[in-house]
Amino acid sequence: LPKLLRCPQRSQLPYAGCLQLSSTSAQEIPTDSSPIEEKVYLSESCVKRLGEIMDKGQYLRIQVEGGGCSGFQYKFVIDSTRMEDDRVFEQGGVGVIVDKESLEFVKGSTLDYTQELIRSSFQVVKNPQADHGCSCGSSFSVKL
Amino acid sequence: VSKRKILATRAALTLTPSAVNRIRTLLEDKPEYIGLKVGVRTRGCNGMTYTLDFTKQKDKADEEVLQDGVRVFIEKKAQLTLLGTEMDFVETKLSSEFVFNNPNIKGTCGCGESFNI
Repeated sequence: LPKLLRCPQRSQLPYAGCLQLSSTSAQEIPTDSSPIEEKVYLSESCVKRLGEIMDKGQYLRIQVEGGGCSGFQYKFVIDSTRMEDDRVFEQGGVGVIVDKESLEFVKGSTLDYTQELIRSSFQVVKNPQADHGCSCGSSFSVKL
Repeated sequence: VSKRKILATRAALTLTPSAVNRIRTLLEDKPEYIGLKVGVRTRGCNGMTYTLDFTKQKDKADEEVLQDGVRVFIEKKAQLTLLGTEMDFVETKLSSEFVFNNPNIKGTCGCGESFNI
């Protein structure tokens, strides 16, 4: 019965969806069969912590870069400028920015602020795109 | 049981002032704990990772480090790997963490959490 779901998989190269090099349309391609929403969820602790550290007009930017032991890694910076291809996710008075390329890798995941004795830090958790990560959670590999 | 020779020993672990302050703050409202315990565990992409816990008592094999009024205990398994390490506490807006500057390690993971010796 899910005959519609199978077609788009074959029609493009396996990695074309990730890189988005050829795509010119601004929004997600509707043929995408995955039910993953193009957004990043913010956990309660994350919203609370962002509220404490951010000044007005500042956002936390999530970037995905090549690197780390598993191929890709998350990078967090405080930013106050929004670029054209940025998406902003706001909640509870705080905002998180993700650029379009990075969003492809983190969509559907949750940004959390984990507090442990040894360290407290922002972490991307429950990333549907990530296969397995490093122990620290800052590096991950992508499901193909 | 003859008399022991007294040797000057170097602390197995040194704490930076920021680490001392942080540990002091952590223990302030927890009188049931006497200090922190540092250990290592086999985990992570580069072999080992540090662990940190509150501790209520000193185990027999633990190495006790007393510096500026705070106590840190090193698990037996971690004593060799940690020898000469400096424990620091680094705080930024985005993260706050204990960092171990370990002269014995050969390599670390990108995040610095995992290491090998």
